[in-house]
Amino acid sequence: MSTATVLHEKEKATNTLLEICSVRLEENWFGIPISHILEIVGGARPQPVPLAPAFVGGLIHYRGDVLTTVSLRQLLGQPPKEGNQDVLVLESSGGYFGLLVDAVGEVLTLSSADFEQNPSTLESKRRALFAGAYKLKDRLLVMLDPERLDPMRLTSAQTS
Amino acid sequence: MDELTREFLIESQEGLDRMERCLTELEERPQDAGLLGDIFRSVHTIKGTTGFLGFKRLEKLAHSGENLLGLLRDGKLVANAPIITALLQLLDGLRAILKTIEADGNEGEGHDTALVDQIKACMQGGAAAPAAAEVPAVAAAATVATEAAPPPLVAVPAAAPVAAKPVVPAAPAPPATPAAGAKPAAPAGNTPPRAAVVSAAESSLRVDVTLLNRMMNLVGELVLTRNQVLQATANDPNMTMLSRRLDMVTADLRENVMKARMQPVSNIFSKMPRIVRDLCQTLGRHVRIQVEGQDTELDKSLLEAIKDPLTHAVRNSLDHGIEPPDVREAAGKDPEGTLKLRASHEGSHVVIEISDDGAGIDTERVRKKAIDKGLITADRAAQLSERELHMLIFLPGFSTAAAITNVSGRGVGMDVVKTNVEQIGGKVEVDSRQGKGMTLRLRIPLTLAIIPALIVRTLEQSFALPQGALSELVHIPPEQAATAIEWIEGAPLYRLRGQLLPLVYLDRLLTPEGHHKAATERDNFIAVLDADGRRFGLVVDGLADPEEIVVKPLSSALKGIGLYSGATVLGNADLALILDPGAIALKAGVNMTNREEENSRAAEQQDAIGLNTGMEYLLVEAAGRRAAVPLADVLRIEQLPLKRVEYIGYRAVINFEGQLLPVEDSGGILAAGGDGESQVIVVVCREGERHVGIAVSQVLDVANGSDLFEAGTEQRTDGVTLLKDHVTGVVDLGSVPPLPADAQPSSGEWNNVAETMA
Repeated sequence: MSTATVLHEKEKATNTLLEICSVRLEENWFGIPISHILEIVGGARPQPVPLAPAFVGGLIHYRGDVLTTVSLRQLLGQPPKEGNQDVLVLESSGGYFGLLVDAVGEVLTLSSADFEQNPSTLESKRRALFAGAYKLKDRLLVMLDPERLDPMRLTSAQTS
Repeated sequence: MDELTREFLIESQEGLDRMERCLTELEERPQDAGLLGDIFRSVHTIKGTTGFLGFKRLEKLAHSGENLLGLLRDGKLVANAPIITALLQLLDGLRAILKTIEADGNEGEGHDTALVDQIKACMQGGAAAPAAAEVPAVAAAATVATEAAPPPLVAVPAAAPVAAKPVVPAAPAPPATPAAGAKPAAPAGNTPPRAAVVSAAESSLRVDVTLLNRMMNLVGELVLTRNQVLQATANDPNMTMLSRRLDMVTADLRENVMKARMQPVSNIFSKMPRIVRDLCQTLGRHVRIQVEGQDTELDKSLLEAIKDPLTHAVRNSLDHGIEPPDVREAAGKDPEGTLKLRASHEGSHVVIEISDDGAGIDTERVRKKAIDKGLITADRAAQLSERELHMLIFLPGFSTAAAITNVSGRGVGMDVVKTNVEQIGGKVEVDSRQGKGMTLRLRIPLTLAIIPALIVRTLEQSFALPQGALSELVHIPPEQAATAIEWIEGAPLYRLRGQLLPLVYLDRLLTPEGHHKAATERDNFIAVLDADGRRFGLVVDGLADPEEIVVKPLSSALKGIGLYSGATVLGNADLALILDPGAIALKAGVNMTNREEENSRAAEQQDAIGLNTGMEYLLVEAAGRRAAVPLADVLRIEQLPLKRVEYIGYRAVINFEGQLLPVEDSGGILAAGGDGESQVIVVVCREGERHVGIAVSQVLDVANGSDLFEAGTEQRTDGVTLLKDHVTGVVDLGSVPPLPADAQPSSGEWNNVAETMA
């Protein structure tokens, strides 16, 4: 069971508030619990890695280490974006990695009462990436689970 | 576990390591008082501390050993094979208990009476008793030893027959009482060496390896920052002094932190005599071990990493290499084989050689085995050169041993050697002459973290190419590409000094689907690489500066690509992927060449006719005459427009950003002049501290020179050498007159350039 769903079930019982960082991709908004975010690096220009798996957005320099980034665009099958992008540095069981998004939005405080699981009609490929959604007033915030975005996991998912 | 126990464990391990080293030496020099003193002290220290810490079992065992050693030290007994075997078993017993303490914090259950009895029997000079007592003693040790089981077990079958022989020198010794043995732990014998130990302890301290690793990482960061500062301040005259100072301090700091992590290879070499001794007894071989270059130092983590490969290689040499004494005698060899361990520095590598004078690799058997095991096809096997056949022994699952013994034959050994060494960026070479022996060469980088690399550009991004594999660079401008690059059915080739060099276009390799410019529409920079005997030219779009790069590991998701060995941050803060030449060669399907084999064959022929093949020369042509320049003195070769050559009086000089290079023009090439477009080739050489240039019309080749001797006097002639069967004059660099004193350039800058170009 992934972290987000664990969190979610705990919340349901207590109806707690959760801080979620919203990120934008074109017109769509996604959310990541801020407890999983180590740092946000703005205006990064990732170095492309030829022959890398399609979801790899490139490498960035982060505090003396070379970080592999996962491009949310490429993961969702959208064309890569030119120019600067924002990177969320996330921690997963396999170590650190970066998540490339078009832009980072504000941090929202949401109630777990507004959370819904993935709809059953969602394509299975997407269902593997998304952890559910929060119902905001005017739109839906699709939750991402850092564990599921881990490059190592994506690689093995791709090959299998 | 408390601090005191931890200290005790570390100290005891060191003591036992020293004891092991001394014991194998003791076998050759049984009377050496210094050795005996050393061993005695190790055991004594353990005994003393254990009593204090309350490890009764350890104390009892150490005590019995001390008694025996006391007799030896006082000359009442002479060390012989059974005594040494008993002491080695004592050592294993002590180690096993220490291990248990380390793991569980207590001594564990076990009975050492058999071992103690055996030691006691040795003290009485009795020979029959130990043989009987041996087996239970070993069994007791083995029950304790959780991992260290093999060494004591190996000793069982072999030690028994040895012990059964009548003991010659020890017999007349008077029976000594245990009390007499225990007392000689008198202060008199210990005082002088102990003083030495104290002073060593005062001037050194133990540092946690993780702290050193952290320091190494930080220094790596500092190197990166320095690179960036240097690039950023390159054009600011006010910052030049400061950034140079930063450069120097960083280099110094890096060197010293690296030094702090260095340990002599003797740390692992010293384990080998014991292994050889045990294996000799199991396998029935007579082997003499020779060790050279023990002081050579290597990074601690690397040293750890080569411990296993080295052990495997030694086992392999003893099991497959060196023949049993009767076979050796039949072949006209000394029945006692020789195993040589040699460590030496070679550029930025440490080379560790394991050579034996055994049977060498039986290539036909290797070929047959490889086909039998289905490792290669019969067709492929028939095409392989001798060198390639030798490399087959490194395939996983390969073994020529007819039967699986507990020494080798499981087909993992050499595979482990290769993978372990390659994991740390090293290389394994094998050199075998059937019937004469074989040499295994482990080439280990000095450090893992920082390597010199050439930055190349392709696909509008930077890549780092490790200099270790790079042998030369060739530039082919677009207009020459049509003729210089030849094709056989889509495979590009370049004729490098008469030999065809397969070319690999990096952009095509990295983006197989993309659109690529033809060779004639772009600059072709060929980096001639030699990766594990595979020689090829990697074609890139452009070259940037050489840089010392800090290797950062790639995440495992990217390791799978296989072409990159890591990534790094460049001076301009860009990231660059580090290319792995070996993997590129494999991916592009470059085969191993026989070039080295040809070279060695040529060298062998020359050896056979008694020529001295010492120096390598650069063969140049100036105005129709051939001349030789010692290759060791050549820094680089420049091609530049003739108008760059300027004159101070009659002296030709070239101005490289304020550095003046005097140019020797004995061939009259500069004097001949030319139109404004003419190019001239200048060989830049080192002559003592200064640098001089030699104008030539063509650089022909690099060749081995042979000395020539004057007829009659047999004296070696100066200034000429035999190159490619022609008597060739050697350019005397010393005869190039110095520049006028006030025009003398400082040579410091040149040195930098030269090093980075190398």
